[in-house]
Amino acid sequence: MTIGADIGIFVVSLLAGVIGALAGVGGGILVIPALTILFGVDIRLAIGASIVSVIATSSGAAAAYVRDRMTDMRVGMFLELATTTGAVAGALLAAVVAPALLYVLLGVVLLFSALQQVLRLGEELPADLHVSPIAKRLRLAGSYPDARLGAEVQYAAQRVPLGFVMMAGAGLVSGLLGIGSGALKVLAMDGAMRLPMKVSSATSNFMIGVTAAASAGIYLGRGDVDPSIAVPVALGVLAGATIGARILPRLSNRAVRLVFLPVLVAVGAETLLRGLGVGL
Amino acid sequence: MNPERFRTLVSGILIVGVSLSATLMLVGFAASLAVGWEGSLVGAAPGTSGLADFGSMGQSLLAMRPVGIAQLGLVVLIATPVLRVAASCAAFALEGDRLYAGITLAVLAILLVSLFGLR
Repeated sequence: MTIGADIGIFVVSLLAGVIGALAGVGGGILVIPALTILFGVDIRLAIGASIVSVIATSSGAAAAYVRDRMTDMRVGMFLELATTTGAVAGALLAAVVAPALLYVLLGVVLLFSALQQVLRLGEELPADLHVSPIAKRLRLAGSYPDARLGAEVQYAAQRVPLGFVMMAGAGLVSGLLGIGSGALKVLAMDGAMRLPMKVSSATSNFMIGVTAAASAGIYLGRGDVDPSIAVPVALGVLAGATIGARILPRLSNRAVRLVFLPVLVAVGAETLLRGLGVGL
Repeated sequence: MNPERFRTLVSGILIVGVSLSATLMLVGFAASLAVGWEGSLVGAAPGTSGLADFGSMGQSLLAMRPVGIAQLGLVVLIATPVLRVAASCAAFALEGDRLYAGITLAVLAILLVSLFGLR
């Protein structure tokens, strides 16, 4: 990469970080299409750069959530068994999968993330507090302080085996595409295990860094982490996500999602079409 | 270890790791704009091993090459969650929670195998 391209990559990654934070997705999922489509970067190097930026942003966000007691560290650690195993498999698989398939998958995950943003408009609290034997053995129940309700909210994990399998899938996608796959992790916790949305989001962020580290080591060893791409991407996405997180509370949540959802849909569609060989 | 101190420890590791890594990457990136990724800040011969070869990180650091500083930043970044898992494992063990100390140790093992064992 030439120096001009390095700075261009930094600026585009910064924008991806801001838009990702405002749209409620990670920066990595937007940065890969940006690098490959705008800068002609090889998709494997784009994935290697993205997975590193995912560690940076999720670790920064996780630090804050852990202090606020939103993160359930036992749920996180238990499910990391599934996500890291999946991530290792995904990173190994990425070496033999055709790039076209990677584009198709990335497009599908992007469109799914956009859909999830539409569906999650109402955040319900869990009704079922039944503790199954497996959840009891693993102590997958607890409470968190809800600022909006001004009360401590109790919860207990349901359908633990289903959640575990879905987490392995989320890890596989993360390792394969070099993204945090937060949308899939939240789906497993909020959808399958019926954990409160706030706990699911915070715990997902907590797990993303560890999941990404499992595949980042493999990408690094394979020579897919090129500092001239990975460094401007990581710095840009980290700065962008920080800026995005600062502006987000000042904007109405719904309005923000409505503005940025079309961006996700457009990038997702473009990426999908590129994989199918009909790139615009 | 009480849960409050555990949370402080975990969040502290994450903040220090990301800050240190971001600083190293920023210094490496800024230096690369001045002398190029494989140039040297102290006038040593330019590197030839390729930017993605982390095996030559030590040499690049000794010659003060931006690529070496950036690689160290990336290594610190990848090591941060690994360190967080190791600290969690120790904390669960201190608490006498053998089940979770074991689960965390298994996650740590997967991470170490992926970092050092698989290509």
